[in-house]
Amino acid sequence: MLPVERVIGEEGLCLCDGGLKLAMRLPWYRSLPFSVVEVGPLSINGDAVDLSDALIEYDGQRWPLSENGEKVDTFWFIRDSAFLILPSVHSDAGSDCEVALNLFVSPPYIPGMKRTNPQTETLRVAA
Amino acid sequence: MTASTGPQTGVTLYSFTNEWLTRQFEVDTLLAEVAKRGLGPNIEIIGFQQFKEFPDVSDAYAEKFKEMIAATGLNPVSCAINSDRFLKPGQQPIEDAALVEYHKRQLRSAKKMGFSLVRYQFALPVHLLPEIAPYAEELDIRMGVEVHAPMWAGHPAVQAYGEMYDKLDTPYLGWIPDFGGTASRIPESMLDAARAKGASEDLLDKLKDVWLEQGMSHEKAGRLREWGMAHGHAPLHIQAACLAFFILSNHDPKSWAALVDRTIHIHGKFYGVSEDLVEEAIDYDTILPLFKDGGFTGTMVSEWEGHAYDTRDAFEQVRRHQAMARRIWGS
Repeated sequence: MLPVERVIGEEGLCLCDGGLKLAMRLPWYRSLPFSVVEVGPLSINGDAVDLSDALIEYDGQRWPLSENGEKVDTFWFIRDSAFLILPSVHSDAGSDCEVALNLFVSPPYIPGMKRTNPQTETLRVAA
Repeated sequence: MTASTGPQTGVTLYSFTNEWLTRQFEVDTLLAEVAKRGLGPNIEIIGFQQFKEFPDVSDAYAEKFKEMIAATGLNPVSCAINSDRFLKPGQQPIEDAALVEYHKRQLRSAKKMGFSLVRYQFALPVHLLPEIAPYAEELDIRMGVEVHAPMWAGHPAVQAYGEMYDKLDTPYLGWIPDFGGTASRIPESMLDAARAKGASEDLLDKLKDVWLEQGMSHEKAGRLREWGMAHGHAPLHIQAACLAFFILSNHDPKSWAALVDRTIHIHGKFYGVSEDLVEEAIDYDTILPLFKDGGFTGTMVSEWEGHAYDTRDAFEQVRRHQAMARRIWGS
């Protein structure tokens, strides 16, 4: 990644709907359609997270992560965080979690390019 | 306003990518900072970097943007648009009709915000130009395709576009040279960034050799990767070294002379200008006179791309770059 790029968003990790919600930033210099961003793998405290029921939350909308590839006309503004909703992952408010996330970005004007963007950070779960 | 009699300077807000991504500025405060430091008045903005509503900017936001421009006294010369053709990785590119409409949406947005030209990309197949050019004429907004590394004046894609430009013969289509295609060397600051990540000198020596060889960027990156792995270098170090293949190539600086006539705007790509006003990798003293002598009266926006590996003060770098241009152009 470039010096200031990150995939774990400044808003971190918090409790949400009985599960967890993780902030993500887009590691590129411009907004991109969600269809060119592949989210995961994700692990928390060393355990791989099953993302089959995960959702994306962005700008007041939610959709299943599995539908991300169809979002060719929904743009992730480069300044915004998008959120990964994890209904089946549980933790306590105030606990620390080591989060390892990778986002793969395929810029839509550079055929064949796929950038890997791993980041690991310890986050305190907010209420 | 008097008609310009020579090349103008300006800045693309892309130079401030680090400051933007880290949320240090909003659009209005970034414009104000550029104006306050005297780095305008001519500016370029990447639509998909600064405008959340892109590619379909609303009338309300366009008005708001025009108010920001009026408040700062800046001149919105160029809006960079994107030729996003590969919206589903690993699958076929989108249909031609959809790609044409995608360009039209961005052209409309740029026009309504007051930009006088757009930057577009070679990812737009040349056979679609006859469909798009009349729309640009109708909107009265010029389009310049960015000749960016690894491309240069002699690249086959540039030749094909040139032939189509001859055929269409319209002042609404032109070139936007990006000087990264004619770098004389890899910037030392870029090599230092790789060293800081742990890359060793023998890997960087090999990088310098492979960078000078013939071939496409991804082929050369593959060559260095293969050599690096065989010689025990860490993937992270190889990845840091490979950046040079994708943003810089080493074609003849004088080759830009072939494109001067149809150049409507310039990306003054740079990596580091010293206190005595010399860019570390791109030979501006050879390149810039070609454009002045060729009668270019548009804008060269300073485009600092050192942010790809460095967190130096971008504003100071842009100030130096513009001072360097004035030194060479004599204005």
